[in-house]
Amino acid sequence: MPNNELFILSVLTISILCILVILLVYLTIRKAIDIKRREKIEKYKEIYNPLIFQLLTEGSYSRALTPESRLQQKAFEELLSSYANVLEGKEERKRLTEFAEIHLTEYYRKRLKSKKWSTRMNTLYHIDDFNMTSLLDDVYRLTKKNRLSHEELVHILRILALFQFQSLFQLLTNHYQYLSEYDYRHILIRLEKQQFDQFVLHFHKAELPLQKAVLEVISIKRERSYLPFIENIIFSYTGEVKLRSLKALAEIGYVKNINPYLNLLYSTKWEERMIAAKLIGSLKVEKAMPRLIELLHDQTWWVRYQAGQSICQFANGKDILRKVFETSKDVFAKDMAWEWLHKGV
Amino acid sequence: MPFFQWEDIVTAFTLFIAVYMVIVILFYTVILLISMLQLRKEYKLDRVQVYEDYMEGIYTKPVSIIVPAYNEEAGIVHSVRSLLSVNYPAFEIIVVNDGSTDHTLDKMIDHYDMKEIKKVVRKQINTKPIGKIYQSAIFSNLFLINKENGGKADALNVGLNFSHYPYFCSLDGDSVLEQDAFLKVMKPIIDSNEEVIASGGSVRIANGCQIQNGRIQKIGLSDKPLVVMQIIEYLRAFLMGRIGLSRHNLLLIISGAFGVFSKSWVVAAGGYRTDTVGEDMELVVRMHRLLKEKGQKKKIVYVPDPVCWTEVPEDTTFLRRQRRRWHRGLFESLWIHRKLTFNPKYGSIGLLAFPYFWIVEFFGPIIELFGYIFMLLCLFLGGIYIEFAILLFLLSLLYGSIFSMAAVLLEEWSLTKYPKVSDIIKLFLYSLTETIWYRPMTVIWRCEGILQMLKGDTSWGEMKRKGVSE
Repeated sequence: MPNNELFILSVLTISILCILVILLVYLTIRKAIDIKRREKIEKYKEIYNPLIFQLLTEGSYSRALTPESRLQQKAFEELLSSYANVLEGKEERKRLTEFAEIHLTEYYRKRLKSKKWSTRMNTLYHIDDFNMTSLLDDVYRLTKKNRLSHEELVHILRILALFQFQSLFQLLTNHYQYLSEYDYRHILIRLEKQQFDQFVLHFHKAELPLQKAVLEVISIKRERSYLPFIENIIFSYTGEVKLRSLKALAEIGYVKNINPYLNLLYSTKWEERMIAAKLIGSLKVEKAMPRLIELLHDQTWWVRYQAGQSICQFANGKDILRKVFETSKDVFAKDMAWEWLHKGV
Repeated sequence: MPFFQWEDIVTAFTLFIAVYMVIVILFYTVILLISMLQLRKEYKLDRVQVYEDYMEGIYTKPVSIIVPAYNEEAGIVHSVRSLLSVNYPAFEIIVVNDGSTDHTLDKMIDHYDMKEIKKVVRKQINTKPIGKIYQSAIFSNLFLINKENGGKADALNVGLNFSHYPYFCSLDGDSVLEQDAFLKVMKPIIDSNEEVIASGGSVRIANGCQIQNGRIQKIGLSDKPLVVMQIIEYLRAFLMGRIGLSRHNLLLIISGAFGVFSKSWVVAAGGYRTDTVGEDMELVVRMHRLLKEKGQKKKIVYVPDPVCWTEVPEDTTFLRRQRRRWHRGLFESLWIHRKLTFNPKYGSIGLLAFPYFWIVEFFGPIIELFGYIFMLLCLFLGGIYIEFAILLFLLSLLYGSIFSMAAVLLEEWSLTKYPKVSDIIKLFLYSLTETIWYRPMTVIWRCEGILQMLKGDTSWGEMKRKGVSE
């Protein structure tokens, strides 16, 4: 009986040993190859770096700049990538894009079809960074793939937005209505006005996340031309959409007629009081100052905090805060006044 | 007949060990496979690119960094400086001086020109009384709170009460952060639209690396066997264990060394418990419990990227102390929430994670210890074939190494931090020796931890009387 068990155990031991040896061999060979590859890439980078720098800054093209091997392409990619992050000038960026399109388009086209998720993702990042519009169709085609991961999809849509892709509006409103506000914002922020206007027009029919994203993008961009739109939303919606549009208004920092908004300082919802206080601060409405001081005594921390900040924005704000700090009997108001007096010491 | 009885015991015990081993190996294998799939998917993903977008302030959420400090005059100024330079758009640093008896407070005040401020701190969680509060005149986002000594958990609670931002990060005073640490751990929170309420990252071992000005300059492998063994352990725990568990929202541990939490949820759960040595694990378990009880679909996740480098003990005295404490902390967390074990009401946490932590993590060392004793007894009393014993021994030696090497493989697939071929060979050779010395040693220490507890430790008794405060 024991012989049988001994046999099984021996087989187990030997097979585990084999697995271990295979693992070790695989790991060491892999590491060695990796190190070699890295060395070669670094060498190529050293050679190409001055040439690429010259090309980008002066536009002088050198014949030596034709990648042949995969490692050379990799070196190109890494160099361009590091330049893409620091280049500011329009001319330089254009040259970078041109150069990438000449040498990397085919390579990326292939890589976009790769079976590996990470390869496709990396490629998408590079296409994005280098602004390679030559690959627009290839990127768009990816949306038709089944089993697309969420991250990949959002990334594709972002690239399409960057390229101001014509059918993006249809895509987002017909096929991808289930994205989160965060995803939409990520995408919409990249659109130019003409494209973005489609979403503004569509606003009333859009789902809540898309609505919020549109308002958020307007408030980030502080686009004054959307003022009538925003004011219209404030008075025709309630709840979160209303709050978001108020926030956008506060960010833009301009209204023709402030009076309708003063009532909001007395709203029963603390969020509305807070955002109204923010609006008053950015518009510096003198006549609302007494109410702002009252809000410094509000029961909600956020409202007090915002009231303090808004008061601070007035020219004589610090004096007013000091007065509150010295005379008020409310510890919380005192505390908040103190905090704003000492912000950014 | 005594001899006959001994043989019976041998058979029964062997069977028990065999069944136990099979269960453990199955657990590990499943977790390994899940981790492998995950990391293979992200194979060679360019991580720097991924984080770039998050640096734009509009997307990020501000974080309060809480640094509890007890007698850390040697390192505190340094740690704070490295924190001030992290790559994140909006954060504040709150150093909580937990009644240090050295010059921690003076050093901070001198070096950062801390000025006393008057502030009302909202007491959302009960803590020991706090003294003066300071703000730096140089960095307006650096605060210092002085308080009576009350332990790490209490200091963290004070920081929580004081903090202004919706997320907070707990941090050990002696760890070195990666520059992008916050971007990395906040990414899942931002991406998930706040469905993720806590997120932790890999903790790596700093011994053997070159550190300058609070930054890792060069990654290296230490020459000390004890450290190399701990590196293997950490790789296994983080890359294998936590990825696998996190994937299915079963993560019960976010290392105390570095983790970001949603403040509102931690406050809702009641903050850190001050009467356990494992406050970091206990909090995570309590949050899971709260989520299940409220029927919320929130998540607690783990990011495989290394975010923080920490120094581990280099000699046995301190390692022993650490392991005893860990094991005790583990037990306390499990015991406080023992109701969850096999409780279908708590879903996968009750049915999978808890049994896993009880059977594999907690009882593992006890069973292993009995295994070792049993082996020795058998050699003297007979009842087992010597060939059999040798083979079993070899098998246990090798199977442990398989998991260790698999962890190294995962590391190579994902992060590739160790630069030399010789590093891999070194890790391999050391992992082969684990069963001979390191494993038994830690097993004994962990059992010591259990013994200490059974001996009627006072804090243990107190906790029992208090019950679960929820």
